[in-house]
Amino acid sequence: MRKKKQKPIRGQDGLLTASPFLLPSFIGLAVFSLLPIVISFFLSLTDWNGLDRIAEAGFFAEHFVGLDNYKAILGGEEFWRVLLNTLVYIVLYIPLMLVCSLAVAYLLSRERRGVTAFRIIYYIPVLTSWVAASMIWKSMLSPQYGAVNNILAIFGITGPGWLLDENWAMPAIVLVSVWKDMGFFGLILLSGMVGINKSYYEAASLDGAGAWQRFWKITLPLMTPAIFYVLIVSLINAFQLFPQIMIMTDGGPNGATQVMVERIYKYGFRYYRMGYAAAFSWLLFIIIMLCTWLQMKGQKKWVNYDT
Amino acid sequence: MKKRALAILAACLSLLMVLSACGGGGTDPTPANTDPATSGGDVASEPVTITYCNFNASGGNEETLQRMYEAFHEEYPNITVEIETIAMDDYFTQLQTRIVGGTAPDCFEMNIENFAAYAGMGALAPIEGVDLSGMDETALSAFTVDGVQYGLPGNFSNVVLVYNKDLFDQANLEYPTSDWTQEDVQKAAEAIRALGDDIYGYYQPLTYNEFYKACAQFGGSLLNEDKTEFTINSPENVAAAQMMADRVLVTNVQPTAEQMGGMGDWDLFMSGRLGMIPTGIWAFNTFAEGCDFAWDIAVEPGMEQKATHFFSNACVVNEASENKEAAMTWITWLCSSPTAAEIRIEAGWDLPAINDEEVLSSYLDLTPPDNREAVFESLDYLVVPPVIEDYALMSDIIGQQLEAAAAGTVTVQEALDAAQAQCEAQITLG
Amino acid sequence: MIRKRHLSTTGYYVVSILLAVVSMIPFLWMISTSLKSRGALMSIPIEWIPDDPTLSAYSEVFSRFPFLQTIGNSLFISITFTLITLVSASMAAFAFAKVRFKGSGVILKLYLAMMMIPTQVTMIPLFVIMNRLGLIDSYASVILPSIFKPFAVFMLVQQMQSIPNDYLDAARVDGAGIFHVYGRIALPMCAPTLATLAVTTFMESWNDYLWPLLMLTDRNKMTLPIALSTLNGQYNTEYNVLMAGSLISMIPIIIIYLCAQKQFKNGLMAGGIKG
Repeated sequence: MRKKKQKPIRGQDGLLTASPFLLPSFIGLAVFSLLPIVISFFLSLTDWNGLDRIAEAGFFAEHFVGLDNYKAILGGEEFWRVLLNTLVYIVLYIPLMLVCSLAVAYLLSRERRGVTAFRIIYYIPVLTSWVAASMIWKSMLSPQYGAVNNILAIFGITGPGWLLDENWAMPAIVLVSVWKDMGFFGLILLSGMVGINKSYYEAASLDGAGAWQRFWKITLPLMTPAIFYVLIVSLINAFQLFPQIMIMTDGGPNGATQVMVERIYKYGFRYYRMGYAAAFSWLLFIIIMLCTWLQMKGQKKWVNYDT
Repeated sequence: MKKRALAILAACLSLLMVLSACGGGGTDPTPANTDPATSGGDVASEPVTITYCNFNASGGNEETLQRMYEAFHEEYPNITVEIETIAMDDYFTQLQTRIVGGTAPDCFEMNIENFAAYAGMGALAPIEGVDLSGMDETALSAFTVDGVQYGLPGNFSNVVLVYNKDLFDQANLEYPTSDWTQEDVQKAAEAIRALGDDIYGYYQPLTYNEFYKACAQFGGSLLNEDKTEFTINSPENVAAAQMMADRVLVTNVQPTAEQMGGMGDWDLFMSGRLGMIPTGIWAFNTFAEGCDFAWDIAVEPGMEQKATHFFSNACVVNEASENKEAAMTWITWLCSSPTAAEIRIEAGWDLPAINDEEVLSSYLDLTPPDNREAVFESLDYLVVPPVIEDYALMSDIIGQQLEAAAAGTVTVQEALDAAQAQCEAQITLG
Repeated sequence: MIRKRHLSTTGYYVVSILLAVVSMIPFLWMISTSLKSRGALMSIPIEWIPDDPTLSAYSEVFSRFPFLQTIGNSLFISITFTLITLVSASMAAFAFAKVRFKGSGVILKLYLAMMMIPTQVTMIPLFVIMNRLGLIDSYASVILPSIFKPFAVFMLVQQMQSIPNDYLDAARVDGAGIFHVYGRIALPMCAPTLATLAVTTFMESWNDYLWPLLMLTDRNKMTLPIALSTLNGQYNTEYNVLMAGSLISMIPIIIIYLCAQKQFKNGLMAGGIKG
């Protein structure tokens, strides 16, 4: 991503050369991804409860309901409300995450004393499991007895109810997610930043450009491939937001943090409506695919591959 | 590097070959946990190994359960039980996948909420050929579907009113008795609330669990008698929910979510700032350790009538098990033998659902609380959750609406009307 | 000029340290909680530093389950998982980035699409497949899915596309086989990405909870997150024990990260010079 995309090796062509390299991951793709996905599509056309054995003959004929699940989901109010919650998360999360990880990348790209220590420290949240991280943050966000509001109180700020407050629960989830992810995306951006040819900066310095100007005029445009990559991955992750919700709010308060995957999990494994859950996840899949496709389409407008 | 990469590649490939060869056969797999040689064998003569899955022992009682098993194994040396303990949060997810995949354990634990769904799917075997005479009848009846016994009550817990004696003394109040009603609770709670800014009278959150109990106290219920219709927004139920909401929003004898500040309800009680809390008898050990003030219990006050919570987990046998007989022997022993009951009580785990007064009497000797009889007295008023196949969905719908009412964003009537409409739209009652 | 530089140095450290504090506070909270006794958990006002630190939560963790065996299982699974992912993903990425073949674009898009399916719903079909393959309750059931990690492929394709073809062509002219080009030239040039992936993949596998829970029912094969979850009771949670357990479970990942960290840095530097 730091250099111009290179064409594949000349003179090398044909599936024959490629296939030994592709074989392992291709078998994995077929057995562990495609096959379950196809099965889940067929399940989405059934009223399967998730408990009856599905391997038995006649299962499909007995449970087939056509597109009823899809109709019920799209016709109900819940899907749109939950989609909106997910979009609220994305709209808050992505810009904030991008700014924070750019800051992380920028700070780590300076060759100052202590930069190694900072690099290690910024990455530690990434290394924690979501289960542990969510539990810690849940106790830290407790309005009166948690660390966050007690720290805010030092500066004379009365913190909100965070996870207990309908309006603050989603922002709280966003903050925790940014805390956890900024190190990861920061390092990806860093590798894009380090790859920029030093001569550009030298030229700019001679022209008298300041640090801030250099960042806007050179660093940022030349990092667009890395930023694009971060956007694609983070958007997919954001749509699949799940473990932090389950542990910190379980969809509450008053449904304010109910999101797509949380619903899918509840329908499949709590309410015993596996067919409905499968249809729900296919709709989610289509939405994610559309968004990614739009991003890919739009990349020509702003992503700069000529380093 | 190249050599190594090639070696790894070769290893991966051969592994895959083996795998796809296995899969190609497509033979019906035998459940991994049963040995076909011993299937359906005579329990007394042939050694069998069965698996038992549970969630109740997680978080500190694994050893107690293991001790019970060792005592069992001495009596029945031919039955070996492999015990798997899984945390509650994901227990049912795991169980569900294993049932679908045909690898479910021979016998396992079920909570009352999921019991009906599993029994309705035909996943559970009817309990037959075992002696049920030693078990508590009310508890037994909670695990029947259409008159067939599908589960044995392994343990039970109920809810009593726990109160802080010191706060009652400070407010010059009489201690609660079993004659109290919710009106007495309200008066006492207001007097205690007046003791200080951060002292509260009562804590009963407006959740689904508390709600269906309060409905029963007001003479209402969530379903009509033959469980064919929802009656969530009946006048009795609205009155019950209104009382609970008013305690938070109007008289504020109970803290709001912000006033609680994310603190647990037990923690609030143990900090000495809460007068009364209806809570489970499983709190006794924690309160005995954590409270530096005097406290005791009483039967939970009612309104039109008394109604107290009753929670029980069932031990059930997998319909697909090949060792049903051995599995029944083990769960029956676990649920009703005096030996198991004694070990359970001694460990302070929870109560065995047996009717042997003598064994239970050792439970009464433990203090605090002094008034342990209230635990058994409460059993006369117990309400069982309104078990339907879509229990989890119903409780989430109602719970979410109650949450809105508790926050004051909608009125109680609106919340219950919405819950009624949503339940009717999404759930077909059998 | 000197003053300005001085200011920016101050600014640099202020922002860096602020971010570092934000990153670290939850861990200090975790350590502090794990050193508290059961009673001190509920004290008001909160004790930032426990008044009476105790290691009882740690001894509790060690006494509840066979700790060494559990760690051993987790290490074995995570290391194998990571190795397979790196080999399989880098091979696929090499083919996509450096070999021209028909349909390569479509297949890569298919890989990308696979990242978008929420795992919660493929879980039951996958369980049934694993059962058919007779893999339930074997380490293989947890390790084998590592062979297809689209995220890793995607990341490595990006990296490999940036390798100048001159390097590869030069090797080809010298008569090196395509495997040689992959192993000797493409792989080393992806070192930083491979190091990053190694850490994230190891972490993903080490922290994975739901899938091993469904697959490994034998207590002797239990992994660390599953063992930790049994510390959670039906009615109450002992935060100090939970935090102690989580802290112990993080140590191996941090060690691995610290080891890979050098590689990270070297890779970054190398990239910088080349660019």
